[in-house]
Amino acid sequence: MQPLKPNEERSVLENNPQAQPSDLEEYERLLSLRFTEDPDQRPVASPQQEDEADVDLGREARIQQLHRKLFRAATAPARESAR
Amino acid sequence: MAVVKKVIRVGAPKPNPFTICIIANPVLEAPWNSGSVAKDPLIGQLAAFQAAAAYIDSALFGLLPGERENLLADPILMPFIRVVSLYDDSLPTTLSNALVAQDGSSNILVARRTAFLPFLANYQIDADVAYAVSASATHTRASAWFTTDDDARSGVPFTLDGNPFVHCYYNTIPGTVAIPVTANSLTALHEFGHAISSYSNGKILDLYVDSPAALNNKVGRPIPPLFCNYQGASFSTDSLRDGLGYPPSWQSYHCELADPSCPAVMDDYWQSTKGSVACLHDIVTKAFIKDRVAAKISRP
Repeated sequence: MQPLKPNEERSVLENNPQAQPSDLEEYERLLSLRFTEDPDQRPVASPQQEDEADVDLGREARIQQLHRKLFRAATAPARESAR
Repeated sequence: MAVVKKVIRVGAPKPNPFTICIIANPVLEAPWNSGSVAKDPLIGQLAAFQAAAAYIDSALFGLLPGERENLLADPILMPFIRVVSLYDDSLPTTLSNALVAQDGSSNILVARRTAFLPFLANYQIDADVAYAVSASATHTRASAWFTTDDDARSGVPFTLDGNPFVHCYYNTIPGTVAIPVTANSLTALHEFGHAISSYSNGKILDLYVDSPAALNNKVGRPIPPLFCNYQGASFSTDSLRDGLGYPPSWQSYHCELADPSCPAVMDDYWQSTKGSVACLHDIVTKAFIKDRVAAKISRP
């Protein structure tokens, strides 16, 4: 997985005051971890594999949660100005 | 126009040369695993695709201006590596033609790895590593999946920390890369490091995050002086992480570097004070990739 450029890291943190460097570090770590496991070896055929599938689901949910936190400013729809 | 297949490097004169294939991604799945597809904006931009293919070839063979990592340019490897590019603008917008997906939780392009083999079979191409180039408007970050080795067939055995493994001659799924048409610097080379490695015989991981144990990454504290023993040779640890430093929370540590003044190719090459293209692979990663490619080149 291509590393983020330094200006991309700065931009994420500057544009999203609610995000911490530790959030970005965890997000990057979990995204990278996703690519270390064979995505085609995930059929649920045994209790152990079921546990592994749960881990995958938990990781993906956490990635989504961090994505919302880190990129909320960039992805949120424009708000009407207060009157 | 239909199909434009270009042989960038001929490779070994044999029926099954080690082959790297660079494909213009015909269809994007968005988001990943949704089944929803759209034509990739790259289709219709042959010149942009060919420029991206030329960039990938240059990055792999150490030909970028200022690039120093030239492991595939080794005369025992380079003449035997076949590189082909493939552009087909006549394909229907179907899921089976989607080689790349847009991740729903990032701006990462994801290779739809199981689609590659049947796709390439239509063009009589057997790839060891395949790049799919995309012009996604929103997703501009490359990623890769390791090779799924054909462990049922033979290869060249090796040992890692006393355990037996095999540089397999063949794969059941090639190493796959999804890469933006705008990629530059060492990105194509970094992703090749992942893609040429193996789920079952040595994974090459990102070194810029706290990764699990693999060929190029170990886990634990305190950091020991010996990183690993590969093929009977001892490799030292990079105790400082090439000047970037190991964050206090990390458990990862890496192999010694060929040049301690630059991060490793699999680390954060953007942080190099000498420029990102000056980065080299760490020593065990380079030895492993060279041996693995050499083994595949030598297959009967």
